[in-house]
Amino acid sequence: MKINFSYSILLSLILTACSKKESVDPEPQIYQFAVPANFPRPVFDIENAMTREGIELGRMLFYDVRLSGNNKVSCASCHDQKLAFSDGKALSNAGVSGTILHRHAPALVNLAWANNGFFWDGGATNLESQAFGPLTASDEMHQDLFELVDELNAVPEYVKQFDLAFKDQISSQNIVKALAQFQRTLVSANSRYDKFKRNEAGGNLSSMELRGLELVRQKCQSCHTGELFTDNAYHNNGIDADFSNDQSEGLFQGRFRISYNPADMGSFKTPTLRNAALTAPYMHDGRFTKLEDVIDHYSGEIKVSPTLDKTIPTNGFQFNPDEKKAIMAFLNTLTDEEFVTNRELSRP
Amino acid sequence: MKRIFIFAIAALIFTSCDNNDDSTEIQPVENAKTTITFDARVGNADFALNKDFTIGTRTYNFSKLRYWVSNVTLIDSKGAEYLIPDSYYLMEEVGDLNLSGTISDKLTYPARKRESIDVEDIPAGEYKSIKFSIGVDSKHNDNLSLQSGELSIANGMSNIAWMWHTSYIFSSVAGIVKEGTTSADFLAETGLNANYKTVSIDFAAPVNFSTAKGVVLNLDVTKIVDGIDLIKTPKVNAAQAEVMSALATNYGSKAMTFGSIAN
Repeated sequence: MKINFSYSILLSLILTACSKKESVDPEPQIYQFAVPANFPRPVFDIENAMTREGIELGRMLFYDVRLSGNNKVSCASCHDQKLAFSDGKALSNAGVSGTILHRHAPALVNLAWANNGFFWDGGATNLESQAFGPLTASDEMHQDLFELVDELNAVPEYVKQFDLAFKDQISSQNIVKALAQFQRTLVSANSRYDKFKRNEAGGNLSSMELRGLELVRQKCQSCHTGELFTDNAYHNNGIDADFSNDQSEGLFQGRFRISYNPADMGSFKTPTLRNAALTAPYMHDGRFTKLEDVIDHYSGEIKVSPTLDKTIPTNGFQFNPDEKKAIMAFLNTLTDEEFVTNRELSRP
Repeated sequence: MKRIFIFAIAALIFTSCDNNDDSTEIQPVENAKTTITFDARVGNADFALNKDFTIGTRTYNFSKLRYWVSNVTLIDSKGAEYLIPDSYYLMEEVGDLNLSGTISDKLTYPARKRESIDVEDIPAGEYKSIKFSIGVDSKHNDNLSLQSGELSIANGMSNIAWMWHTSYIFSSVAGIVKEGTTSADFLAETGLNANYKTVSIDFAAPVNFSTAKGVVLNLDVTKIVDGIDLIKTPKVNAAQAEVMSALATNYGSKAMTFGSIAN
């Protein structure tokens, strides 16, 4: 097969002032992010350029239970690679307090393209800031950030790796930067659908799967957009009609609790359809156990409220049984076995 | 055909060399240093914690006054601007603050009164005005991993959990307000990028920082609460968008005025 590489290489030169002593430490190696041919080009934050050393550090941290107050919980406790970095539970109690959380752990897929906020309501603008949420929340990792810096400083491997990655000491800022770098490498682009799109070996879709693809593009495209199968935006998808409960700092009001824009009442972030077969249960509170339940919801169980997304008919899409089967069949083609078994993303 | 685009990121950060002999570069003859003071006042009185002040028909007793001053810029008589690098300063008057449960289980922020910032390496010249912002610019407000100046998530002036945004609290004033027999514990805070306010203040006369010891700006707390009914709305935060916006506008439009030049 002929492979056409198109390079667009920008440099990351960090020249510190011409000090008399030349630094002997090697510069971190810039990570060459491979954009899948059928994907749009992500916009990266140049404040935290991805480097091999930074990603490796982020991977160490992602799987390390030292990041929790009781040293029993890591990021991976709720973001399991074999489930496309989700946890299989509606609402987890895997946090330090054992309390059932209010929100479903999202899958971590193609975060390098996620440029419109994190959490189900978009409360964090970037992965770096986002990480402080679960790290410090008492029902999640409940980590004292001062203690964390001390704990990591006691591990020579970490002292070395922070120096390699950032030429700097261990700090909470560098911890979240490294975690963000690793998370941006969680690229899922090798499903059977992708191979079909790129006309690669193994990329065959059955007529039923193709029919499902057509239906998804016709009916679901306005939110589950393009090759990412998400618009990274926030919508009221009709799973509730009443958002008057403002308990828990507006937890049930979706993006409204962040934006205080009445149009955002009951809106939650669009999850990608990629690896959907692995990321049950579904919705911000995990209320739907099976993918079939989700399709049934959109087909005819829409709850109407003033902020219901305009692209969703109030009586649903009225899929017939064959259409539901076709959509199911297509969604299964978005499962990326290479992603969930990729050793570079696994526990180091 | 399999097409793979590979690219990497640009981050070119050139800092100047010490032995830069580029003769075209304008070097200041003498770099001056000065102190910029933000003198908190209640009308004509000096601001103080735990002391009754009458503002209009109400009595206020403050327990906290904190705000970020950022991107401080001095403007010379020709209009050239000098942005003080890394200028993010937490101005405050607070008693011991219990910040336990924020980023640490047990965390006390010690009592502190801070009204002045020391600035060095000001290019020589006559300066006519100063410009600064109340709050944190969107680039830094949106990304708590960026380190600059005094920005920190360890001092209780940020939201990192599940409250409104992972971002900085731009200003925070708290205390008790009374009118007749009615009273309220208030906590009035501003934040969010839309409420980042830039203030420009002209000096009464041009200032040469190689001779002037400093400049004093006044922050009048009566102007901060002007038009804000803290008995009706004692908790001002993102959930009270209109009141918060009015509060931020007060900081940006009338609370700060020129005070004096210290020679």
